[in-house]
Amino acid sequence: MSARLEADHLYKVFGRRQDQAVERLRAGADREELRADGTTAAVIDASFTVDPGQIFVVMGLSGSGKSTLLRMLNGLLEPTAGHVRFDGRDLTALGDRELREVRARKISMVFQHFALFPHRSVLDNAAYGLAVQGVPRAEREKRAARALELCGLAGWETSWPDELSGGMQQRVGLARALATDADLLLMDESFSALDPLIRRDMQDQLLTLQKTLKKTIVFITHDLNEAMRLGDRIAVMRDGRIVQNGTAEDILLRPADDYVASFIQDVDRSRVLTAGAVMDTSVTADAPLCRCETASPTTPFAELCAISARVPHRVSVVDGAGRLVGVVPRQRLLGFLGDETADPVPCDAPDGKVAAHA
Amino acid sequence: MPRLHLGDWVDSGVDWLVAHLSWLFDAVKAVVEGLYDGIDAVLTAPQPLLLAGILAVLAWWLRGLVAGVLSFAGFALIDSLDLWDQAMSTLSLVLVATLIALAVSLPLGIWAARSRAVSATVKPVLDLLQTMPSMVLLIPAILFFGMGVPAGVVATLIFALAPGVRMTELGIRQVDAELVEAAEAFGTTPRDTLLRVQLPLALPTIMAGVNQVIMLGLSMVVIAGMVGTGGLGGAVNEAIGQLDIGLGFEAGLGIVVLAIYLDRLTGALGTRLSPLGRRAAAKARTTAWSYRPRPAVAVACVAALALVAGGLGVFGGPSGTAEATGENVGRGKEVKLGYIPWDEGIASTYLWKEILEQRGFKVTTTQYAAGPLYTGLATGQLDVQTDAWLPTTHAEYWQKYGKRLDDLGQWYGPTSLELTVPSYVKDVNSLADLKDKSAEFHGRIVGIEPSAGMMGLLKDKVLKEYGLQGSYEVVDGSTPAMLAELKRAYAKKQPVLVTLWSPHWAYAQYGLKKLKDPRGAWGKGDGVHTVARQGFAEDNPEAARWLKDFSMTERQLTDLEARIQQAGKGKEQDAARAWLADHPGLLDKWAPADGGAAGTKAAAAADSGAAG
Repeated sequence: MSARLEADHLYKVFGRRQDQAVERLRAGADREELRADGTTAAVIDASFTVDPGQIFVVMGLSGSGKSTLLRMLNGLLEPTAGHVRFDGRDLTALGDRELREVRARKISMVFQHFALFPHRSVLDNAAYGLAVQGVPRAEREKRAARALELCGLAGWETSWPDELSGGMQQRVGLARALATDADLLLMDESFSALDPLIRRDMQDQLLTLQKTLKKTIVFITHDLNEAMRLGDRIAVMRDGRIVQNGTAEDILLRPADDYVASFIQDVDRSRVLTAGAVMDTSVTADAPLCRCETASPTTPFAELCAISARVPHRVSVVDGAGRLVGVVPRQRLLGFLGDETADPVPCDAPDGKVAAHA
Repeated sequence: MPRLHLGDWVDSGVDWLVAHLSWLFDAVKAVVEGLYDGIDAVLTAPQPLLLAGILAVLAWWLRGLVAGVLSFAGFALIDSLDLWDQAMSTLSLVLVATLIALAVSLPLGIWAARSRAVSATVKPVLDLLQTMPSMVLLIPAILFFGMGVPAGVVATLIFALAPGVRMTELGIRQVDAELVEAAEAFGTTPRDTLLRVQLPLALPTIMAGVNQVIMLGLSMVVIAGMVGTGGLGGAVNEAIGQLDIGLGFEAGLGIVVLAIYLDRLTGALGTRLSPLGRRAAAKARTTAWSYRPRPAVAVACVAALALVAGGLGVFGGPSGTAEATGENVGRGKEVKLGYIPWDEGIASTYLWKEILEQRGFKVTTTQYAAGPLYTGLATGQLDVQTDAWLPTTHAEYWQKYGKRLDDLGQWYGPTSLELTVPSYVKDVNSLADLKDKSAEFHGRIVGIEPSAGMMGLLKDKVLKEYGLQGSYEVVDGSTPAMLAELKRAYAKKQPVLVTLWSPHWAYAQYGLKKLKDPRGAWGKGDGVHTVARQGFAEDNPEAARWLKDFSMTERQLTDLEARIQQAGKGKEQDAARAWLADHPGLLDKWAPADGGAAGTKAAAAADSGAAG
């Protein structure tokens, strides 16, 4: 099995008669019916896999069950039904002690409100996970200092959490999670409490770190822009169910239902789309025909527009080997920007030119 | 409504506990006494001023220079008021009660914080313990633990437990849930989550609870003094019982000094212990006033003072008891005397303390209210009391406990009960004259404790006999309050009508007039009896024989009482010794030693140190 993490038909129900509630949900009952009986279905039939080195984003509004889902992944909450497999091990079958061991060594977590220990210095906070593992003080302080440095906090070791800005505090939270060398990073709305500018910084930093660290990350957010920026794959949750699971472009270009569609209306497409997503792949060749400027599949949409303005014809999209993998006509660019995929309607003017009547 | 016999159930429940769980109570008692004796021994070992210095250094370290200087001044004040031993015994009592309260309430609070069911169960119990009037708990405490420190500690403990539990639970529940989750997410064990995250963060709140425990403990000390715990509480009780405003104020002030010291110290300790508080303190600017020595310096200071204390060889000062002379009949056997703070009780008790000590007994004296005194005798925790007014005044107690007590006979009598007015109230001479004078006394008869035998007699019989019900209201109160009211009215020459009895020093102090009782409604006078616990006579045949043969004339008694009154508080035994020396032969008459070589020189040879 290549997946690092696998959620297999997870259910989480709070309240009375939970097993019975799961049966009813399997039979097709919906959340509201159960609520009348005093049980709350937080997560319903959630299944997905996360590959090593991937950032898997779970996106949903508050109350959609995404935080509950995340807490089942490291066993903070026990699933009512279903299994969580991590590196092939069924976490749901582990005892408390083994589960704690997994949490201490393999899975770490970053919290929405940072959850730094106010009675420990920055260094001690970063070293917390290692202290739990029983790593000797000298070594854990060295590793914690390295994690802090990685997160851009060198020199702040002896400070206290409340002396730091929100962004810096969350860097400490990130350093604490990274210091244990866990393979799996669970991030619970970790950037939601930050200012927009700082949030962007943190997203960039996470992406930069990820390039070298190649952790497996499950990231929870309610912000679709953030989901699109970070996620290799995105699962959209609504009312406890995963309604769509795919790449950013899948969700943007092929929303599974009206709910997802209404969600993506506000998304700034120019930020998310790349040449690879918008290109017309029906045109391919071993090499471009001309020596005009070309784009690569990862060229962002905004830059693609700039190239298109400089080139008199369709922009050629070329892969690493120099082969033509697609083309982007200007018409198509405008279509994506305006969320219009249909072809242009013919003009009724005789020569097809738009002109003012004299 | 059917009558619920809740009280009877409680009664029989208490009886059952006494009968079946005495081993448990004895064990608890042993632990409490051990702790108390240990702490008290440490506290009373050094010279008072040296210990004051140690306590001051502690305050200096935890709070700063001003606190240190003020602490020293406060404790020096206690020492100069001659209340040092009492203060240290109170401090030991509070410390023991606090230690045990914390040992119970911290785990209970932690448990309650982790389980809603426990929390819901504990809450009403705590409410009950905290609001049940403490006097109600004292008598069962005596039955379980006997008089003295353990009963006082347990009563204090029960009262002080609640804030410890509540604040611990609150403190832990207040810790941010996300922090607890973070600890769990990193694989922390529940135990470490508690120790490394929850408790450190809850510490300021928990320390506020500790502070409350200590403060409530101190406030209970006075009430605990009623069951013979001694200390400042005992001093306050004695002062109240004897209407000694000055001593009451001094002892009260001692309690205040202790309270403020402990309050400030635990407050500061909370800051020092909690990592967050330490940081806040470190940020604050340091001035000369707030400068605090480093822990090492403070420890060094304390150690140096303690070494001085040890080096001076001041451990265990000489005790001020009389030395056995002549025949050593007692051979160090212990006799526990209890007394009610009535003058003839004080006089006869200290007289016998002196006599028995000269005969080689070891005697302790403790002041009680009448109820606990009889309870103590009946349960064998006290040996003898010399002030039983029988058959009338103490009839209720005799009815309840008489079967378990040994009457050693009357040594003074007859006494009389009466209503009394100041002699300047001209036209009232007899109970029969009262009928039309209701307005003059505002229809009030100033009474004493409603539990006193004479109060029942007055309400049920005397008023009826003279047709006074309706026109007079008997005001329940206390003996000190009655005497204070008499003093106040006397000073202003206002008419006042009080319940009084003879012998009483008030007759010597003020010009008073006993109202005649032509119909004999008060009944015949009581005799003052000596009462011993069952078995005392077998254990101490000589002493029992002496007490049985003992009698005093009115002249002797008033003379001795006057001597004691003159000598003042705390010198009762000195006065009794001097009085015995002035009346040679009485010692041998009252306590004839078999050898015959009785110590007429006993008084002269007696140790001159003051008792207490």
